[in-house]
Amino acid sequence: MTRLRPLLALLLAGNVAAVAAAPYAPKDDAAVLERLPSRPGDPVAAELRALRAAVAAGPGDAAAAARLARAYFDLALAQGDARYVGYAEAALRPWRDSSGAPTEVLVVQGLLRQYRHDFEGALGLLARAAARDPGSVAARAWSAAIHMVRADYARARQECEALVPIASELLAAGCAAYVDATTGRAGAAYQRLAAELARHPEASPGLKLWVQTRLAEMAGRLGDAAGAERHFRAALGFGLEDNFLLAAYADFLLEHARAAEVLPLLKERARSDTLLLRLALAAKALELPEAPQHIRVLGERFAAAALRGERLHMGEEARYLLDLRGDARGALAVAAENWKSQREPRDAAVLLEAALAAREPQAAAPALEWLEASGLEHPRLRRVATELKALAR
Amino acid sequence: MKALGALLLALATGLVHAHKPSDSYLTLHADGATLSGQWDIALRDLEFAIGLDANGDGAITWGELRARHADVAAYALARLTVKADDRPCRLAPAAHLVDEHSDGAYAVLRFEARCEARSYRALAIEYRLFFDLDPTHRGLLRIEHPGGTAAGVLGPDRPRFGLQLGAVSRLAQFLDYGREGVWHIWIGFDHVLFLLSLLLPAVLAASGRAWRPVAGFGPAFWDVFKVVTSFTVAHSITLSIAALGVVELPSRLVESAIALSVTLAALNNLWPLVYRRRWVVAFGFGLVHGFGFASVLADLGLPQDALLVALVGFNLGVEVGQLAIVSAFLPLAYALRATWFYRRVVFAGGSAAIVLLAGVWLVERALDLKLLTS
Repeated sequence: MTRLRPLLALLLAGNVAAVAAAPYAPKDDAAVLERLPSRPGDPVAAELRALRAAVAAGPGDAAAAARLARAYFDLALAQGDARYVGYAEAALRPWRDSSGAPTEVLVVQGLLRQYRHDFEGALGLLARAAARDPGSVAARAWSAAIHMVRADYARARQECEALVPIASELLAAGCAAYVDATTGRAGAAYQRLAAELARHPEASPGLKLWVQTRLAEMAGRLGDAAGAERHFRAALGFGLEDNFLLAAYADFLLEHARAAEVLPLLKERARSDTLLLRLALAAKALELPEAPQHIRVLGERFAAAALRGERLHMGEEARYLLDLRGDARGALAVAAENWKSQREPRDAAVLLEAALAAREPQAAAPALEWLEASGLEHPRLRRVATELKALAR
Repeated sequence: MKALGALLLALATGLVHAHKPSDSYLTLHADGATLSGQWDIALRDLEFAIGLDANGDGAITWGELRARHADVAAYALARLTVKADDRPCRLAPAAHLVDEHSDGAYAVLRFEARCEARSYRALAIEYRLFFDLDPTHRGLLRIEHPGGTAAGVLGPDRPRFGLQLGAVSRLAQFLDYGREGVWHIWIGFDHVLFLLSLLLPAVLAASGRAWRPVAGFGPAFWDVFKVVTSFTVAHSITLSIAALGVVELPSRLVESAIALSVTLAALNNLWPLVYRRRWVVAFGFGLVHGFGFASVLADLGLPQDALLVALVGFNLGVEVGQLAIVSAFLPLAYALRATWFYRRVVFAGGSAAIVLLAGVWLVERALDLKLLTS
């Protein structure tokens, strides 16, 4: 499958629209109400059309349905748009009970499960897929990613080792480096991964983008801001649309008091909640007049999610409460809840910072234990941890 | 495939659901037989379902949406069922607007749900929008009813939402039917004219073939009391047995008989045959008028589980309306009873006019013609 083409230029003109107080009838027929994320002429739309046509032509064709669902899922990752996850689920509906589902369907079902934070269910499906098709790179790689989110580093490492014989060298190396960098061996992991990247110029842009993003994060944690900047620039240079990359780079810029650079990076991306959060943080740091507007819209989105009865982005919500609303106690409650299911460095960061702001070091105990056990190199987190411990005494 | 395998690792779950999923906002105002609704549906979702971007430029304009309003309403309303007491209500679009939510522009479809039951205890909503295209879609439902607000989240696993309006609405139901009763006697000219025809002579006494003013208020009051009471008892009896379905009469027959009753009552004023026993006339024709009230009640729709509440409420409403007319009429008529104006213009002229009008009604109703435009 070809990589999805860049959509950056075609994205929604997502200037945060003024929220109207009441329904209205526009006066002008030419008034633009909504900009679509893709246009019929662009390659992604064409690819999706072809995949949809294939599914329509063969309703029982599992391979076609899995390809379509996968394309939608990738689009959800690229754009940060959850609607595509729903479309992916619809494509896989015929195999809903999953007992008779073919391997490729199992894999995508696993991805959709993890999206709903059913990590146990997702790992089960991916394990079945891997057992049936030992060469399934996707099943192994995603299992590793889920173990990382749950801070189960031993099992993550096992999955990375299982990738060595079946995946490309760069991918297997990236997987191992990802685990090492989170468990106290960031320096060596960085060196190895950088060398591996240099040895594989032929790797796909998508893989290289991912490696560059991880290298940037590692360099940042190792205190090499210039190196991190270089890797982020290289990753952005591929021109691929990647919500995760933009968020990571925005975080880096915010941490280094470069909020002004966040604005041009994200101003067209306010559709994505995660990116709107960074945009609001930047606007607030710069004391821009649009900051309250961003904060209000973000609050409305969390309220809308709560109305659905879903709290899938608690990490972001905690960050919003802490940094944008100044609600340390509220942020702490959400961050503590989030930590129960998600344990990546950024989840620890918001929990530790919220506990410090609320002056409740006890609430951060699980994250402090994790920080000790993992051995993560992360100067900022270590500083907060030290302050928390001082507070506890 | 390998490239994708790598991207997988970019997964950071927290960052993935970066965007609000698909929701629609459905609000129903449940107050009376016609519910009004507002349904906010994301243009993104409508685009995916039925295609709005006619010129394919990646932007949806008001003109493009406007051109598809009928399709939007047909698509959406076909995927919603509203039932009042298990009977489906008819959904019809009322207005098309737009609104901005935190994640983009929404089509705002205002609609009406016309329910058969005038009053109901249970509302049921069945929601099917977009579930075939996006199983993660949710309908965020809010129902505003006289007893408060109810809310629910509708999804493929829970597409139904039921609401018991319950005890709160019993009183509301009673008052509702009572209001209808008052209203009906006020706009039901035939009933009012029949009553007036019987009341006009109450302040007069028959003397041979002519009428003289009564001496005191007492006899006039008792005469009115007897007439009104017997009319009330009689129409309550037939209203009840008709509403309960014990007896059913063709409405044309009932309406014609009512017109006849008005004609005869007014004629009796001009050429008195019955005086002291006008209450008997009131009772006899009251039975006919009760059937007329029953057909109104049937049109309003009777809640099967609250028949008695509706029946008593409606009947009491009719009595209250009647009492209002009587208490306005009696003092005035009593004060004017000795005047030439009352006896000639109001009594004789009024009765003659009623005979004429009711005669026309009689012909219209009996022959199913249209002589007067009402």
